[in-house]
Amino acid sequence: MSAYHKHDGGGGIAGKIVARDIGQVYQVKNANGASEEFVALKDVNLEVRRGEFLAIVGPSGCGKSTFLDMIAGLAHPSSGELSIDDRPITGPALDRGIVLQGYALFPWRTVRENVEFGLEIKKLPKGERREIALRYLELVGLADFAERYPHELSGGMKQRVAIARALAYDPEVLLMDEPFAAVDAQTRENLHEELLRIWEETHKTIIFVTHSIDEAVFLADRVAVMTVNPGTIKEIVDIHLPRPRSNAAIRSSVEFGWIRHKVWELLQNGEPVVAVPQRLPAQNVAEAISPSAAL
Amino acid sequence: MGLVKYWLYRSSGIALFLLLWEIGPRRGWIDPEFAPAFSTVIGATWRLCVDGTLPLNLLVSLWRGLAGLLAATLIGIPAGFAIGRWWPAMAEPVEPLLRILSQVNPFSLMPVFMLFFGIGETAKVAVVAWVCFWPVFYQTITAIRTLDPELVKSALAMGVPPFDAFRRVLLPAAAPTIFVGVRVAASLTWFMLVAAEMIGAHAGLGRLLHNAAHVNDTNRMYAAGLFIILAGVLLNRSLRRLESGIFAWRDSQSLFGSHSPRRARQWRRPALFRLVLCLAILMVAAGMAVQRVNRQGEGGGERFLRPMNHGGHGAHGAHGSKPRPITDPDLDMSGPEWTMDPDETEQRK
Repeated sequence: MSAYHKHDGGGGIAGKIVARDIGQVYQVKNANGASEEFVALKDVNLEVRRGEFLAIVGPSGCGKSTFLDMIAGLAHPSSGELSIDDRPITGPALDRGIVLQGYALFPWRTVRENVEFGLEIKKLPKGERREIALRYLELVGLADFAERYPHELSGGMKQRVAIARALAYDPEVLLMDEPFAAVDAQTRENLHEELLRIWEETHKTIIFVTHSIDEAVFLADRVAVMTVNPGTIKEIVDIHLPRPRSNAAIRSSVEFGWIRHKVWELLQNGEPVVAVPQRLPAQNVAEAISPSAAL
Repeated sequence: MGLVKYWLYRSSGIALFLLLWEIGPRRGWIDPEFAPAFSTVIGATWRLCVDGTLPLNLLVSLWRGLAGLLAATLIGIPAGFAIGRWWPAMAEPVEPLLRILSQVNPFSLMPVFMLFFGIGETAKVAVVAWVCFWPVFYQTITAIRTLDPELVKSALAMGVPPFDAFRRVLLPAAAPTIFVGVRVAASLTWFMLVAAEMIGAHAGLGRLLHNAAHVNDTNRMYAAGLFIILAGVLLNRSLRRLESGIFAWRDSQSLFGSHSPRRARQWRRPALFRLVLCLAILMVAAGMAVQRVNRQGEGGGERFLRPMNHGGHGAHGAHGSKPRPITDPDLDMSGPEWTMDPDETEQRK
């Protein structure tokens, strides 16, 4: 527990990002041609604490990406309030960064120039931009690739550049929309550890959207479970796994399996599992969950 | 097989063709009046190059082509963005009309352009611009429609203001596809220019060709034709080189395997500036040549269009026998120069 990260910071009660009663309604034409309302999000309430790593898990189409777009300022909710540090979110700004699934690196710019993009918007002078960009590239471990073009990089490397680009202009919140979905499984697990290392060095608030329960439980301090139709946050699960989390120590542990199962059950629209099983540490995961599942 | 052998193999078709072209007229299989031997044509081309006829006419044609292409690009790209991105609602009523207009044969539009713009340079540049506009316009629309939306999303999320998003993200992302349109437009230009210059032009490669046909100077005609083909091929090649240089940052896309394993080096900003500067200088120099030719007008064109087989007059080293007069007045639109005796023309200067 030596590197356990404090969540509250100086913020105390008020969260970093506060979403109150967010709703999103679309006007669509149904099969008969009549206009009807499609409720994408309903009564979404969420408070993200400063410096915490929050994951949002949900099935496809539950609106989690839409919700993230709203926090980024790229979409506007039909109802409800969204604020960052008690300031309402009205549009995109440099206090939030976003990392997308398809990396979205600018292919006509070198890796370093990609990272410098946000700094150009901040109108920093050329030397300073270069220095900051190289610093963040070193943080993600790609300093040697600064003058390469994106097409020369592998998927995992591209995603790391995307993370460096989003961090370079020092946003307060990092929004990640299924960033590792397009990366192969081995690289993904390595990137998880990388991301946690970067998070611990930079102390950002991270909101991480994913459909992978494993990913969410491994990375986050808290996991918000979203359900679909209408999209709403069903429950927020605290993840009490110790930090620093490493692939070797955590992924095969019993606690990990148990928490993962709890989140999984929430996603199944079943009764949430609330009781902690008695015989925890020395048992295998299957028995801990249900005697009949013991192999 | 080795590289040299491979090239020989690939060139054998062309070599055979040229061989037939050389032997055919000489042996009488083809009437040499209609098709001079290849070596004769090469000789004529060389002489025309050396005495300045071909280079000057090339410059004039290039100027018209570039001017038209530039005009088409300056109108086509914003128009494409307007329909594709800023006012997509306009696309529905406007697209059918544009589709019809783009399919109208440009040759049949030339008289219309002449009505509007007269016989001068404007008409020719306008025809070229019309022809170039459509590929550039449609490619711009395609580029916008096939943009990766995540690119735009990433930029917008950083709070980029809309004009900056256009300049820094949309344009560079759309540039490769738009350039394909420019390349197509450039080859169409070459195609159109030769025809556009056949009417009322005082100089230009098309004019040279057409005039040579008029006076039945087959050597000159073939020489001009050969030169036009070579110039067109060179233009296309250079554009491809340019494309792989400016857009070296793309993923290698060739479906059939790349022809050269070496990847082109990415052109950076200084190289681009140099290119633009060279083009600007070219346009200014060519523009001056065009002005000079047009000012000399009636008499001036004569200097370049005097047939090759004419007895040694003038500074351009023409040589041969007396010219044959034009007998068909319907074909002749060039004005008084053709009714004047060339000797008299010389004395007047």
